[in-house]
Amino acid sequence: MDIELLEIRDFLAANHPFDQLPEAALAELPTMLQVRYFRRDTMISEINSLESYLYLIRTGAVEMFSAENEILARLGEGDVFGYRASHRPNQVEHHCTALEDTLIYQLPAQDVDKLCEKHTQFAYFFSSVVGDRLRDAISQATQVTSSQVNLITTPISELIKREPITISPSATIHETARKMSEERVSSILVCAQGQLAGIVTDRDLRNRVVAEALDVNLPVTEIMTFNPSSLKEDTFAFQAQLHMARHNIHHLPITRGDGIAGMVTATDLTKHQTTSVVYMVSDIYKQNNIERMQEVANQIPDLLVNMAVAEASADSVGHLITSITDAITSRLLQLAEERLGPPPVSYVWVAAGSQARNEQTAKSDQDNCMILDDAYNPGVHADYFRELAKFVCDGLNACGYVYCPGEMMAITDKWRQPLAVWKGYFAKWIDQPEPMSLMLTSVFFDMRRVYGSRKLFREIAEYALEKTRGNRIFLAFMAGNALSHQPPIGFFRNFVLIKGGEHNQTFDVKHNVIVPIVDLARVYSLAAGSKAVNTLDRLDVVAEGGEVTSEGAHDLKDALEFICYLRIQHQARLIKAGEPADNFMSPDHLSHFERNHLKDAFSVVRTMQNTLGQRYKM
Amino acid sequence: MSIWKFLFNLDERRNWYLRRMPMGPLREYYESTFPTPDTDWRQVEYLALDFETTGLDKDRDEILSIGYAPIRGQSLRLSEADHFLSRPVRAIPESSAVIHGIMDDTASGARPLEEVLPRLLKSLESKVLVAHHAAVEYEFLSNACRRIYGYPFIAPVVDTLALEVRIFRSMDKPIRSGDLRLDKARVRYNLPRYPAHNALIDAIAAGELFLAQCTYRKRRKRALRLRDITVIT
Repeated sequence: MDIELLEIRDFLAANHPFDQLPEAALAELPTMLQVRYFRRDTMISEINSLESYLYLIRTGAVEMFSAENEILARLGEGDVFGYRASHRPNQVEHHCTALEDTLIYQLPAQDVDKLCEKHTQFAYFFSSVVGDRLRDAISQATQVTSSQVNLITTPISELIKREPITISPSATIHETARKMSEERVSSILVCAQGQLAGIVTDRDLRNRVVAEALDVNLPVTEIMTFNPSSLKEDTFAFQAQLHMARHNIHHLPITRGDGIAGMVTATDLTKHQTTSVVYMVSDIYKQNNIERMQEVANQIPDLLVNMAVAEASADSVGHLITSITDAITSRLLQLAEERLGPPPVSYVWVAAGSQARNEQTAKSDQDNCMILDDAYNPGVHADYFRELAKFVCDGLNACGYVYCPGEMMAITDKWRQPLAVWKGYFAKWIDQPEPMSLMLTSVFFDMRRVYGSRKLFREIAEYALEKTRGNRIFLAFMAGNALSHQPPIGFFRNFVLIKGGEHNQTFDVKHNVIVPIVDLARVYSLAAGSKAVNTLDRLDVVAEGGEVTSEGAHDLKDALEFICYLRIQHQARLIKAGEPADNFMSPDHLSHFERNHLKDAFSVVRTMQNTLGQRYKM
Repeated sequence: MSIWKFLFNLDERRNWYLRRMPMGPLREYYESTFPTPDTDWRQVEYLALDFETTGLDKDRDEILSIGYAPIRGQSLRLSEADHFLSRPVRAIPESSAVIHGIMDDTASGARPLEEVLPRLLKSLESKVLVAHHAAVEYEFLSNACRRIYGYPFIAPVVDTLALEVRIFRSMDKPIRSGDLRLDKARVRYNLPRYPAHNALIDAIAAGELFLAQCTYRKRRKRALRLRDITVIT
């Protein structure tokens, strides 16, 4: 190419997907182009011929309409259409009109085909499966570098380095110590017939033997810790880490079936990560007053920034941030019980909303409730639980989890009730669905036990599931609710294009994109009778159960991961600039690459919403 | 010269010259089919052309570089665009070098005009010449042909500057200084800003402007014909 076409080459290089081409291919590209001019308000192309070129808008603007004349997209300088770029759901039949005087560079389809054959990154843009593009976008956007991220998906069994070192309960302390030094381990498991009976650590030898001048010929059972805390081998490494932090232990036996798989130490885990989440959690459990916990909670924004810099996946960020909220909640409950005495009847503290789903980012509102044992007697016990809830909710508020504007908190009398009353609530919501109850169900159908009685939690969760399973009327109401928030259509220059062709400066990434996905996953997962609460988990279940096609579920997962990833980057940017984190994203801060993939994410959500609508005859 | 244009149309003049013209690139060009004035403008092929020259005196100055791109089916084809230099006989005056950036060193590596001209004439076959202020290209080209082949160059010509003047007049708009410059005219049609004074980019710029102007001509009962847009037919 002559250097003269550099100007056109530079324009191509600045725009997606041409930015994906190597230098040599870019240099040749201008000589393949045809230039066309369209006067304002004229038709760009007949419906059938739109696919024969890839069109790139050099100046001007173009509107794309469906066969029913509904606006599908408004495109500006640097946007592409035609070819397979328009092979996106809902956009099969369309026609295009110049909205302004428009100069277009068009590339014949056979040349695009050739480029696609040679350049995979470029070809991804035209992939007819939106999900492929999104997956590619995620892997390009998030290079999973942080080892913390890996711990989230790594089962603890993979950190076990050797067969467990064990000794029989009949051994003496002396024999035990000798075996430990021979094997060069800092702890040993005491096992009888392959069953874990106890554990002895270096610290036990120091504190219980040497310091006490104990006879080393006594049996090891004199100094061991009986029935030590252990975890199953399929527990994720990250959960194990939290478990150790929470119980302040450094040696964790791992079980496999009825036997022992091995031992994992705090050192094994810290070798794999240095991020501060685990330290923050263990710090929280050491605090005795709210002021100190507040200090720890104040570090959450910094943590988010660090994770954003490390390009942690949105899913891991959600789990990590939520685990801190869980720790603060649990510690507040421990402190409350220390202050008020043990609870008169058993109860369970339940997280709702995003905390339940393990999907918190920067600090969120608090959504929680308490389920009390049916032995609860308001006349006698009301004060205790009111004080308890007040202590915890106030504490959470002080730590930055501000009071829920809808008052869906345990501090509200209505949401601090015995099991029977809760069952009544669910029965009413499910049997007589109306707008208010749907709002409540979308919060309380996402429930996770944080602290207290497992039995109470299981009962209410199973009751709710049982009542919804196969309940088409209720599910249809939920489906209708899931369609109430809609994603934008796309972007036009530095505006967000919404349904009907209007423009906005920003879009609410939470309400317009994330909430619809969360709602879709909830409806499908309830229809499938699944206990899953986390949205990605729900979508997995839904895909397996055939509620939606596995491609559909996959695409939604990718859309969610991508959009949440962008949200984290957005919030981190705000935090770094000293501003409060919010959910309002402006196209100004999005690259061409991100905009294109956001459009994909929007279209995935719309497609799945349409599918749901058809299924429940909306 | 100009009286000829009024007395004889393009085909008559072409036939006149052809009677005596020897074999060669210019004769081959003359023998190609010239677009007829009554053709729908969309059915005609064009060549958007621009020269960079050592100055504006058609009798003294020389062509330094040639850039062009054909237009077919309302679409400017960059795949058939071309750009090349020609070596001037005399040194390049500084006053022009500062405009087009072509220095003696660069130009001395190029081939003389008589060697590159056939390439341009081949590309012009059966096409209408399009240029902004087309008199420059037309006259430089005609002079070159006269010098090299002994006969003038003739072609149907569209001058985007002249079209712009007509558009101003038809809208009763006063023309202010600079309004007719290529870059100024392009802005009115929402065309992008290109760097000026490179023969190929200027040719493309003129070609795009031409496409824009044609889509902006007032809708008439009859479709726009070639004769409605040419300055020389």
